[in-house]
Amino acid sequence: MKSKAVLACLLALCLLSAGVPFARAQQPKTLITLYEGPKTMTSSETARVTVNGRELFVYDVMVNHEHIWNANTLPSYTPMTYFDFEGEARIRVEMPGLEKKVESAGVLPGSFGITPAVQDGAVSFTITQPGQYTVIFNGSVNKALHIFANPLEKDIPDPDDPDVFYIGPGEWTMDAIALKDNQTLYISGGAVLHSIVSVAGARNVRILGRGIIDGSDYPAWNQPGSYARVPIDLNHAKDVTVDGIILANSNCWNLNSFSSSGVTINNVKIISGRQNGDGFTFQSCTDHTVTDCFARTWDDSLVIKNYAGSTKGITFRGIQIWTDLAQSMEIGYETDKGLTLDPEIRDVLFENITVLYNFHKPVISIHNSDDAYVHDIVYRNIVVENAFMQGDNGFNKELIEMTLQNSSWSTVRDEFGSIDSVLIDGLTVINTLNGKVPASRLSGVGKDNRITNVTFRNISILGRPITSLKELKLSVDDYCDGITIE
Amino acid sequence: MKRTFCLMAALVCALTLFSVPALCEEVIETEDTIFTIVTAPEQTAAQRPPCFPDPTAEYIPLPDTENIAQGKPVLSGAHTDVYVSSNVNDGKTDTYWESKGWPAEMTIDLQGSFTVSTVAVCLNPSSIWEPRIQEIAVQVSTDGENFVQVTPPEKYQFDAAFGNRIRIDFSPVEAAWVKVIFTLNSSSRTGGAQAAEICVY
Repeated sequence: MKSKAVLACLLALCLLSAGVPFARAQQPKTLITLYEGPKTMTSSETARVTVNGRELFVYDVMVNHEHIWNANTLPSYTPMTYFDFEGEARIRVEMPGLEKKVESAGVLPGSFGITPAVQDGAVSFTITQPGQYTVIFNGSVNKALHIFANPLEKDIPDPDDPDVFYIGPGEWTMDAIALKDNQTLYISGGAVLHSIVSVAGARNVRILGRGIIDGSDYPAWNQPGSYARVPIDLNHAKDVTVDGIILANSNCWNLNSFSSSGVTINNVKIISGRQNGDGFTFQSCTDHTVTDCFARTWDDSLVIKNYAGSTKGITFRGIQIWTDLAQSMEIGYETDKGLTLDPEIRDVLFENITVLYNFHKPVISIHNSDDAYVHDIVYRNIVVENAFMQGDNGFNKELIEMTLQNSSWSTVRDEFGSIDSVLIDGLTVINTLNGKVPASRLSGVGKDNRITNVTFRNISILGRPITSLKELKLSVDDYCDGITIE
Repeated sequence: MKRTFCLMAALVCALTLFSVPALCEEVIETEDTIFTIVTAPEQTAAQRPPCFPDPTAEYIPLPDTENIAQGKPVLSGAHTDVYVSSNVNDGKTDTYWESKGWPAEMTIDLQGSFTVSTVAVCLNPSSIWEPRIQEIAVQVSTDGENFVQVTPPEKYQFDAAFGNRIRIDFSPVEAAWVKVIFTLNSSSRTGGAQAAEICVY
């Protein structure tokens, strides 16, 4: 009996040890966090989306396919959804809201290299990295689906912390939220918050979560009786973090920062379709870093201006842009609206920027429309997947535009500034409106107000390396010096 | 093979919704995925977030009699930008009058003689209007030409926690015109007086 028991134990050990390598070889399970939509809202009838077989709540959000300024424009809607994950997410999309059955689809950015399968009108593809994904159907941008696949959330604030305002899932409304020193606003995934958030004169403030700040309750800001309700407005704020949330349906511009410093913005997604719906817009700010964000906007997507002092140390890195109106990366036009002494805009970096679409005005633009000294501006690794700039009445349809002229936004009209030390290192344009290289333009204004030392490096348009200013179709006037291409 | 764990029962979620706003989660495990589903509370309409209690109970109370200034003709000096004088008694606190410089006077024609004893000055109650102090005096007139001071210039604190409004009470007096005179505004955002509503009772 004893020997039989020992034998049985040995056999069991062998079986167990044989099973260990098998267990070790198993893939870890994918972790997915899904958020129910508010019970007061219904999921989009345009799109049905599942991830690993579970249905997602899909929101219809305002966008705008009118690619020319219209003060009374009306937005249309496109589907948007989100979840958090780690591992492998199998996404399946059906589009009952499209008039035509889905015959083809694409997943943007193209650099992700995802080729979706299309079968019986359903689109399927797999992602393994968090990020922002856009699906277009039948070769059209109509009803493009935006999927925000967030990383799993970490360090969720403690709701019992007296400095934490914790907004859970559901639909919520209040006029405005003003945050003070050391306070945190947490907007959970599954929350839709109809409100605006202001950080005025406060420091060490955080705005976190996965939820949506929604402006759909408010008429467009320029309509009679309405006014601008900026979803996130930083004003003389210091040391602010904004992370993970979505801004949708704003009645004006979106994430605004004025005379603030030490601002970190990460994984914030903006979709706007109404008048002056700029994306990330900073005026007279210092030390701002924006990473891994998304901006589909009906006005400038990334914007730097001077309203009351100078700008220094702004970084945009890893941003996806879809510009339905105006410019994608704009410095200006206002560069000295506050009439300050020696205004500057300096040390600005745009890096790893993917422009999914630009339908209107230049992708890269510095419009020094007042008297600032704009210098040390770097654009590095910029990919423009669809450079479809149609401009306004034949103007402003350049790929790159740098000017020193007055404009309707000028405050200083009798003096001009300069632009110096600009590097564009790595610019790839995949598609253009007519299959040709779009023009670009540099224009100073006088012998003392020049554009100097602009270097183009590693430029590729429509699959061809661009090695001369002529190939770039760059017009340079008499007030530019040191314009080179490498 | 599917296993379902409910971390918090729906009843518990409902009970805790307005006290501790913890997430209600359901975990579902399949062969290759562990889903955490963050569930939504039962709602029939958008609500005020529980973490922001309704502040109106703290608002400075106004008389429950008729505001006899609303909609009456007003007269003031220059205004800033689009913040015209007619905003001051349009019945809405999300529009406002802002003077261009000092002193700033706002005269309201009550279109008849009334016994008045309270003037209230309101700003937008939104918390994004930071606290400020305005210095205000009140005068009244029965003929629109000769005004008598009923309260001297005094500094009043406007604070969104109390509705961003102040109330000036005085002994009942006959008046057909009320003039509110502003001589200071501590807000760094403006160079003039501000009032979303001026109410007379």
